[in-house]
Amino acid sequence: MVIERMNNFLFKKASIAPLVIFRIAFGALMFISILRFVLKGWVDTMYVMPKMHFPYFGLEWIKVLPAEGMYIVFGLLLVSALFIMFGFLYRVSTILFFLLFTYIELIDKTNYLNHYYFISLVSFIIIFIPAGRSFSLDNKFFKRSEFKEVPYLFLFLLQLQMFVVYFFAGVAKLNYDWLIEAQPLKIWLPAFSHYPIIGQFLEDDWVAYLFSWFGCIYDLSIGFLLFNKRTVKFAYTFVIIFHVFTAMFFNIGMFPYIMMTITIVFFSEGFHQTILNRIKRFVHYNSERETSVGRANGTLIYVFVIYFFVQFILPFRYVFYDGDLFWTEQGYRFSWRVMLMEKAGSAFFYVRDKNTQREIEIDNKEHLTYMQEKMMATQPDMMIDYAKYLKKYYEKKGFVDAEVRAQSYVTLNGKGSREFIDQTIDLSTQSNSFLSNKNWVKPYSE
Amino acid sequence: MKKVLSINLLLFLAIFLFECKPKKDKDPDEDPATVFDKQAMLTNYADNLIMPSYNSFKVSLDSLINVYDAFKISGSLIDLQVVKQKFQTAYIKYQRCDLFEFGPAETHIIRSSLNVFPTDSVQINSNIALGTYNLSVIANLDAKGFPALEFLFYGNGASENSILGLFSNTNRKQYVSDLLTEMSTKINSVVSSWSSSYRNTFINSLNTDVGSSIGFLVNQLNFQLDYLKNAKIGIPLGKKSLGVAVPTSCEAYYTAYSVSYAKETLNLIENAYLGRSVSGSNGKGFDDYLAHLDAKYNGGSLNDAINTQFAIAKTKLSAVPDPLSTQVTANAAVVDAAYVELVKLLVLLKTDMPSSLGVVITYQDGDGD
Repeated sequence: MVIERMNNFLFKKASIAPLVIFRIAFGALMFISILRFVLKGWVDTMYVMPKMHFPYFGLEWIKVLPAEGMYIVFGLLLVSALFIMFGFLYRVSTILFFLLFTYIELIDKTNYLNHYYFISLVSFIIIFIPAGRSFSLDNKFFKRSEFKEVPYLFLFLLQLQMFVVYFFAGVAKLNYDWLIEAQPLKIWLPAFSHYPIIGQFLEDDWVAYLFSWFGCIYDLSIGFLLFNKRTVKFAYTFVIIFHVFTAMFFNIGMFPYIMMTITIVFFSEGFHQTILNRIKRFVHYNSERETSVGRANGTLIYVFVIYFFVQFILPFRYVFYDGDLFWTEQGYRFSWRVMLMEKAGSAFFYVRDKNTQREIEIDNKEHLTYMQEKMMATQPDMMIDYAKYLKKYYEKKGFVDAEVRAQSYVTLNGKGSREFIDQTIDLSTQSNSFLSNKNWVKPYSE
Repeated sequence: MKKVLSINLLLFLAIFLFECKPKKDKDPDEDPATVFDKQAMLTNYADNLIMPSYNSFKVSLDSLINVYDAFKISGSLIDLQVVKQKFQTAYIKYQRCDLFEFGPAETHIIRSSLNVFPTDSVQINSNIALGTYNLSVIANLDAKGFPALEFLFYGNGASENSILGLFSNTNRKQYVSDLLTEMSTKINSVVSSWSSSYRNTFINSLNTDVGSSIGFLVNQLNFQLDYLKNAKIGIPLGKKSLGVAVPTSCEAYYTAYSVSYAKETLNLIENAYLGRSVSGSNGKGFDDYLAHLDAKYNGGSLNDAINTQFAIAKTKLSAVPDPLSTQVTANAAVVDAAYVELVKLLVLLKTDMPSSLGVVITYQDGDGD
């Protein structure tokens, strides 16, 4: 019964228009985003300038390419984004985009952003959806038939992905600091007190509470409201309000615009069909071609059950580790914890020659970029990577059995800096692991 | 749906314009100051600390150039002594603007043109011997500016008379002139940019992100403290060389004013924190901003914690007599005690202060999440 109903739900015929609009919008947004990334010089600062990178645990084999290689990767990303937009070599382009984007994301933990994770996930989904089978260059060049209808499943995958992002971002906000102390917004909002009209209120506590609670309730409920045909318009108004605010207050680049645009996957078929028809007319696309109906491979269901199951459990893996999640950040990434805390630190590293027991203090700037140093100073797993790098570096310079220690202080949500790492531990002997706690982190003291 | 979309587009446009539009001047007296007046703070920094410091430095540099020109003609010992005196005044005045390395100063690379130490005496002598050189190449960064002048006026333990003798060499005379001219050109450009347009840019940049005035000040305040801790104290003390002191790496090694200059720097950092003017009156600064926001440090006030730590660091640094170059070996424990307190101050200013102000402490731009 349940299976049958689910099948009816997922495989009911639906217009292909939303998928085509999505393909065009996503391709265009990715093209703009990646072009912006390159023009801002971030390929250089994030991939060329660093002397070392912070790999993900288990993914240490993912290495950065030399400068030319990285620029080629970004060039291919630009090309594949355009190809996706035009529906040219769609399958190849989506696979290429997914692989390359995920590759650049996994080179260095410094650059981790939930937004990038989201892009990787979406670009994985679109590999499997036939968004290139209507109004595409593929159809034109390869003289393929136009799909008019496809199983609803494909659109549902995109909608569910949006839902997951919002919902888990809301779940992440269900914590004491966010709800009861209105942190970190209580710190972040006053910085904009010079804004016209609203600025005068931004130093008031009630505004921080209002924004915190609104944000939390919004994240938890918006997915449901978008799924419901009767509330989708109303919900979309909130989507705009929410993202306009995030764009005003947070330095999050293209993300608000990406979210605002692709949330239209929840809009009615009629809406998408109208837009698509207009675009077709505008470019004189001949749709008098033979039409057919797309199908979905049954095994796709299994792939995506696993895909979403993993996304459902990742945010909760932190419960298996000791210590405060925000402090140790063990199990923090890949969990939609978006703009959730104000954390800053200073870390001083010391390398000691075991033979002579003499030590030097490290100037982090000599080894790390500003961004890397900033991220490393608050993230215990990155400190281990850095310590291991320093050990190797200084042993090459003649140190015998180099020991690496760190003196570091971190402040979380404006409570004041306190000791972060156990100064007595040789960090180069420690290892990151999924299975064990990070014992080199001092317990969080209230 | 169409309606929703057009609202979307409108808001899109609104936010876009809002973000791009240059911020207009706001009249601070318009409404009761319920929010912290960042513009008043920045104006205080510009008018009472930054511009007066540059102007005062420019005046003393001009005066040094004048007396040097006189010495060039007379070649007399008395004139050399006047030059040395003016040199010291100018160097101290320079110490008092070293923190403001953003905007015009960053454009004209002031810090690395005027004060790279230790200076490279070999390079200087070879430049003089050749008589032709390009001061703007990287190889000459440590052969110019104050440290190079110091070497040329004071030498390495050489007597005043033997220094005077060296100045009979016209190449040497010219080299000093060329150094002074380069310094003067650079500083004149900085002074004129501040007084023509940059002041306005500076006091109207009210965000706290990378490239904003508050971002610049907080970053440079920390850069300066880090520089004090590392270059001025830590490296001579041997922090980078397995605990083996490196006396020759001291700033102002030949005149032996290293600790005096370090104290000047710490004082400058404190001025920049407090918004204290060159004449010593305490205006609107980061201390007021933190107090206004009621920033906390482990239960107490962050501003109190920072002020206390400034006082401790100053006391410990004052306990170190000049010359630092002998203290780092003879009296290392005392120097180290000052170093430790500077580290504590750095943590407060680099971690707690920006985190409480919502300032992005980096020069590197990037998206957050």
